[in-house]
Amino acid sequence: MSGNKQISKKKKVELREICEWVGYGDRVMDLGCGRGILLAELVNLKNVYALGVDSDFGKILRAVKRGVNVMHCDILTALKTFDDNSFDWIICSNTVSELENPKEIVEESLRVAKRVVIGFVNYGFWYNRLYLLFKGGRTVNKIYQKGWDSARPANQISVNSFKEFCEANDIKINRKHFLKGNWRAPCKFMPNLFAGYALFEISKK
Amino acid sequence: MNDFSTDVLEESRPGEVGIVAYSDFHSSEPLDFALGGRLESFDIRYETYGRLNADASNAILVCHALTGDHHCAGVYSINDRKEGWWNNIIGPNKPLDTNKYFIVCSNCIGGCMGSTGPSSLNPATGRPYNLSFPALTVKDMVAAQARLLDHLGIKTLALAIGGSMGGMQVLQWAVDYPERVRKAIALATTSRENAQSIAFNCVGRTSIMRDPLWNNGNYSADTPPRFGLGIARMMAHITYLSEKGMEEKFGRQLRQGSDSKFAFDSGFEVENYLRYQGSSFVNRFDANSYLYITRALDLYDLRAPDGTLETSLKKVKARVMAVGFTSDWLYPPEQNLEIVQALLRCGKDATYAEIESDLGHDSFLIESPKLYELIEYFLEA
Repeated sequence: MSGNKQISKKKKVELREICEWVGYGDRVMDLGCGRGILLAELVNLKNVYALGVDSDFGKILRAVKRGVNVMHCDILTALKTFDDNSFDWIICSNTVSELENPKEIVEESLRVAKRVVIGFVNYGFWYNRLYLLFKGGRTVNKIYQKGWDSARPANQISVNSFKEFCEANDIKINRKHFLKGNWRAPCKFMPNLFAGYALFEISKK
Repeated sequence: MNDFSTDVLEESRPGEVGIVAYSDFHSSEPLDFALGGRLESFDIRYETYGRLNADASNAILVCHALTGDHHCAGVYSINDRKEGWWNNIIGPNKPLDTNKYFIVCSNCIGGCMGSTGPSSLNPATGRPYNLSFPALTVKDMVAAQARLLDHLGIKTLALAIGGSMGGMQVLQWAVDYPERVRKAIALATTSRENAQSIAFNCVGRTSIMRDPLWNNGNYSADTPPRFGLGIARMMAHITYLSEKGMEEKFGRQLRQGSDSKFAFDSGFEVENYLRYQGSSFVNRFDANSYLYITRALDLYDLRAPDGTLETSLKKVKARVMAVGFTSDWLYPPEQNLEIVQALLRCGKDATYAEIESDLGHDSFLIESPKLYELIEYFLEA
């Protein structure tokens, strides 16, 4: 489980960034909220109204322990619960890559929330390109911990392909934040090639 | 009331509440029922475990299901082998921890375990109420419990918790007395009975009412409508289990000593089990109470006259958690989720969790570490 721990550590920078974006007292829904760490932090720092959604009972349990409101159901069921613009923010941190229907979920999120944060591991990162070039297969490392035979199916999103998706679907990118390969320092130069992690704030045009 | 010794208190492993006794609360103030009837006075039988703290802030109300009662933990004597119905969850260092909380459970009004119900004597006539007992709703059960809490000096509940009909009461509590409930846990329940559940209750009631001994509700205590009530219980019991659970427990196993496969009165083990459930139930439950309470379940509907749950739920102040069980087909998971969805639409603090279980509707009564953790975490968070 040390790999997972490392990922949680890496995600701290993302958490800090999201905490800066979200306003005091905002209504926030976290899709794929895991153990509710981000939401508990937002409640603590920004006194938000928080709701997490997850499909894993073990994670729901930890989120309940943190005192976070959670729905134990699939993401689309959760989104369908709410009227248009019922939330200020929907957060999809490291979630979109695991969805079978990313476009539908992003569109539903943009219906339910005024602003949506999408965070993902950038598959266009140079290391992945070299890995494929020299090893002839998908990366297996601390981030992509498992090979194809045991990993969950994952959409390989890159910074540029996400921008193209937004362009094609009339989605406005309000803010973006890229982290280098260590997921700590910001990445300002050629993010599609050099960013390890990407964070976008999007809204309807 | 409870009897645990101090050395048990020191340890952190789960203990027992030990030997308990019930109490009776007599209210000489009248109780007006939601559908118009009235009792000039009434009794509520209840049990408590743990100690109420100085500011009366540590009380937990446990609400029982259709055929449950006030005896939810402990035993009545050393020789008593049957513990209260939720003994696995209530006790020192258990999820409902009697070291920290004062736990109250009462027999619902209309019941037959000591609280005033159809089989109680009407003081005005000296005869049992039978069908002259007021038309009953879940709202009345909760109103009677509120009187008991007044009597015990409890203004606010740290938690109201219950499954099935107990869950309905918990939700009714949160709606009718929003200032008095800080947290609420509703398990395996619904915001209103659907046609299927009403249909099952209808079969049970018909079975009782077609028993000649029922006699329009005017049977004597020695000759109750045993067959009608027994069959009602047998059928209802099937709805508390699941196809998979029954298959695992009984399969097609034949009853031991059954010599003929074609004897109608014996044969498969599952038949034997259901007959036992039916006949043992008759000894502890009153047929008229069964009619009244199942009718109260059918009438239960948290929706406001405008047809929405939101209009009633917007009064709620408690943090609510609803829990569904995957194999529960009486009050399926979606009906529990629906309650939380409506609360969230009103901007309330609400949580929905789902527990995988093969044990059907009765899952909430059966030992489950997942449920224990969920309750404990929600209560302590």
